[in-house]
Amino acid sequence: MKAFTFVRPRTVDAAVAALAETGGAVHAGGVDLLDRMKEHVDEPSHLVTLLDVPGRDAIALEDDGGVHLGAGVTLAALAENDVVRRFLPSLAEAAGQAASPAIRHRATLGGNLAQRTRCGYFRIASFSCLKRGADACPVRAETGVQETAAVFANEPCASAHPSSLAPVLQSLGAQLGVQGPKGARSVSLAEAWRAPEKGVAGDLALAADELITAIVVPPRTRPQRVGYEEVRQKAAFDWALVSCGVRVELDDDGRVSDASIVLGSVAPTPWVATAAEAALRGKAFGAEPIAAAAKAATQGATPLSGNTYKVRLVEVAVRRALTRALEGAKGGAR
Amino acid sequence: MTRQEPPFEPAPPRATPADHATRVSRRGLFKGAGAAAVSAALLGARETLAREAAVADEVRTQGPGLVPITLRVNGEERKVQVEPRTTLLSALRLRLDLTGAKPVCERSQCGACTVWLDGQTVYACSVLAVEAEGREVTTVEGLGTPSDMHPVQAAFCAEDALQCGFCTPGMVMACAFAVKQHGKDLTEDQARAAVAGNLCRCGTHPHVLRAALRAAKGE
Repeated sequence: MKAFTFVRPRTVDAAVAALAETGGAVHAGGVDLLDRMKEHVDEPSHLVTLLDVPGRDAIALEDDGGVHLGAGVTLAALAENDVVRRFLPSLAEAAGQAASPAIRHRATLGGNLAQRTRCGYFRIASFSCLKRGADACPVRAETGVQETAAVFANEPCASAHPSSLAPVLQSLGAQLGVQGPKGARSVSLAEAWRAPEKGVAGDLALAADELITAIVVPPRTRPQRVGYEEVRQKAAFDWALVSCGVRVELDDDGRVSDASIVLGSVAPTPWVATAAEAALRGKAFGAEPIAAAAKAATQGATPLSGNTYKVRLVEVAVRRALTRALEGAKGGAR
Repeated sequence: MTRQEPPFEPAPPRATPADHATRVSRRGLFKGAGAAAVSAALLGARETLAREAAVADEVRTQGPGLVPITLRVNGEERKVQVEPRTTLLSALRLRLDLTGAKPVCERSQCGACTVWLDGQTVYACSVLAVEAEGREVTTVEGLGTPSDMHPVQAAFCAEDALQCGFCTPGMVMACAFAVKQHGKDLTEDQARAAVAGNLCRCGTHPHVLRAALRAAKGE
């Protein structure tokens, strides 16, 4: 790893100022960042650490029933915290399945959302990669290793988005709290992503001197069910091949008044299965509409020759996540 | 940035229960920050400078060269000089001669370097040594000694829970954490989950699980 200066602000304002001044990289748990630095994929001259900024690990139930999650909350805390388990059960479940206990003790919610793709071409400096400035994505080439690559929106870059928490939070309508030199802003997580561009490593549409400060999940306004499912190659300590967070709003007759179905690891950013959502709306929530929605979730897939199997996994993950929701997890306060 | 010479700044204050109590009001600050930005735009240059000076007080920097730090490892204060890029794993092994934690993948993927930071398992390869200052580091050497073994260490011997031994220090730290967490109620599923992030290429897992359960039950 290249030598760097460790900048330790004690406040968010000071952190933002330090980022603007040094052009450094944001450091919190360091799980993903240090990996990239060891591989010389990233070589920042400064790390601006958030470890000395107090209060970033707050979890609070708001008066209106929304849930405020500090960006520094660890995945272990998300998995174990009573407020999260009770009101955001699909999030607690996704966090508890991520990585390993030792990583969950360190990895933060903000870092989970800001982490870079696990695409091997991106993470090994000697390979060329569109996100790191090359003209073309080697995954898409005839010789590309494509097993874990994206099956939706996979041109010009076929990297898969790694976060399993992002689809869940997006399905819950989460807002990202961001702070930069011009102050704080709030952006819908659904609108926080940007499509891959040549030379742009990150998937979040944030400026280099902006920080994620919090994630706020709004209160539910109607009865709802939530679910989460991920499919992995190994039973534990593995990245999801496909992950899926769902939220289904029901009217008084048990019909679906609204549905949110978001997939992870299938596109360069979290992927909204709009056709699946449409297939559920207005239907009595049950096995048949779930099967139809799961089938519809594969619409628009453009798998590569090496990952057609992932399209089938999309159907499986959506069906299981919706079935979990049907079976019970209500989620949300009030 | 200039190298810091001792006496150096104390570690920043750790979160206390009082901090938790004030968190709701901190959130209030977050919500008000947008308005603060608007008023900042109205401030004159002098105020802006004063504000920048205040911000400067809120930052300290370390490195990129050697930084003297004091690590608290296995209950002892140990002074070392490290660069910010030095991982806790390197500091333990190369500066403090505590070679229990093993460097294998050094990418948070194998668990051979598992230690405790403030009593929780972490991979020492993905923690910077400078971050560990002011925190409690426990390695397999601090858990017990050959003549006075921790129950998990003794159970590993009794259950023959190692083959080549390279994953063992990490396995022991992960199991000891699970025993600390769950006590005598530790289930096999919990033990399995506890060592999910510790890879053993020899395939000793069944013995490891037996050892964890034996230690938990105090046999």
